[in-house]
Amino acid sequence: MMRIMGAVVTGVLLLTTVVGADEVPISGTVKSVDAAAQTVTLESTVKGKTRQVVVHLKPGAKIVKFIRAIEPGKTGFVEQPLALTDLKPGWVVSVETKHEGNKEVAELVKVVLER
Amino acid sequence: MRGKTFAFLALASVLLVIGLWVAHPPASRANGEKDEKDKGGHAHVPAPLEYADAHVPLAVWTDPAMIARGKEIYTVRCAVCHGDAGDGKGPAGVALPLKPSDFRDKAGMAEMRDNYWFWRVSEGGTGEPFKSKGSAMPPWKGELSVQDRWAVMAYQHTFSGHQGPHVPWEHPESVVVGRDIYVMACLPCHGVDGKGDGTVAATLSPRRAPQPRDLTSAEFKFRSTPSGQLPTTGDLFRTLTEGVRGPGGVMTIGLRGYRIMPSFRYMPEEQRLEVIEYVKSLNRAFRERGEVKIVGVPTPPPVTPERIARGKKLYADAECLACHGERGRGDGPSAPTLKDNRELSIAATDLTRPERFKSGSRLEDVYRTLVTGLAGTPMPSYGDSLAGSDVGSGLLPPVAIARRPACRGRRCQMRTASRHKEDE
Repeated sequence: MMRIMGAVVTGVLLLTTVVGADEVPISGTVKSVDAAAQTVTLESTVKGKTRQVVVHLKPGAKIVKFIRAIEPGKTGFVEQPLALTDLKPGWVVSVETKHEGNKEVAELVKVVLER
Repeated sequence: MRGKTFAFLALASVLLVIGLWVAHPPASRANGEKDEKDKGGHAHVPAPLEYADAHVPLAVWTDPAMIARGKEIYTVRCAVCHGDAGDGKGPAGVALPLKPSDFRDKAGMAEMRDNYWFWRVSEGGTGEPFKSKGSAMPPWKGELSVQDRWAVMAYQHTFSGHQGPHVPWEHPESVVVGRDIYVMACLPCHGVDGKGDGTVAATLSPRRAPQPRDLTSAEFKFRSTPSGQLPTTGDLFRTLTEGVRGPGGVMTIGLRGYRIMPSFRYMPEEQRLEVIEYVKSLNRAFRERGEVKIVGVPTPPPVTPERIARGKKLYADAECLACHGERGRGDGPSAPTLKDNRELSIAATDLTRPERFKSGSRLEDVYRTLVTGLAGTPMPSYGDSLAGSDVGSGLLPPVAIARRPACRGRRCQMRTASRHKEDE
């Protein structure tokens, strides 16, 4: 019985650890884009301190902005894919990053505001 | 066997805690707060002073034209984060560290004051504490006119399902923090309803002015607004911070610096702003008035013998000496007969004792008092009768008189210097 309980607890621990995977949201203003290195540098504020974060995009990472659906009968927003070079300094974006090999890595960048 | 089971459970608990910590580490890299305790980071702090008087006209909240206009703007500019349904789940908002507000949250909306709301729409997440929480909310003041921002708020307000204007008498929750502070700090003098009839009021200055202010009336002495108008939030903040100087009865013994109302400068600023929001909620006129006009205070002119001479003439022409006396000691011929609007005896201020000036003794304070007058007292407004430069000149005699030491003894002069320092 104890072995079974132990196995269950261990399994749950492993599962939560894997699922959690240290994923954090970051939002900030685009400071610069490096298409060659596939990186976006964001300026964001955390706990009162402004800092710059270099976000590395995974191969095949998506950059999207949201536009109003124009097809008849459709409401709401649809994703419009963008290229990395479309991102402009000053835009506000949000990303979900994972900490991999001492780098912030993202698969999806969402444009919050263009300005 | 029991001991082993207990040990196993204890070990499992420790491992579980460690596991959960590993699975959800402190988000030191994220720039938002996932804690939902304070509305997902949307702490409804008091609006800063520059926005504290930015109350939305009552008719806006229910005006169908404004709501329709607000919907148009919201659909284009706000819905991508706040969602078409106002639920804070727009496609660009779902991944933000600080979640966009859910306008359907009745309780959260009821706690939010209109000036806070206008401040957030105007300045977005650029101000604290929202900047530190990672707010991505853009400031709209550069792109939307004041009317457009009101229209957006009116539309957002519809998501909460509340009918009627968004004001404290509809949402008492919005001033509950200030009310609690008021009960502890202000009620004994200003009374339960703010009418200046607290239990201690009668003993403060028996049978003579000043008395605790009736906060529900239209008359406030210390203002930067023209005669006959209500004060700004900044004026109330200044009075609360500085207190009110004046002769008091036994109950005021121990108040620092000859005060009848104590200075609350040691109360945290946020709490002072909260209690002022409550005080304003006692008087609907604060929200029913239109644009707030403020009397500008120009740079003081240089003190020259010519200006002092002109000021002396104005001091006589404007009949200041009738109350304040030729030497400014508050002993003019009319002084003994002065009464305030409650028919209570009131003393003319002794201009040789700047530390006793009720509304402050800095040059700008004296200028403001001259231009706005002190409502409810015999001190009239000279805003219309004296031109700006004349008011500047008129200041000089009392200030020049005030600068004369009232006493010659060393201890007395040290005491006066100490009071000046306190004023600074």
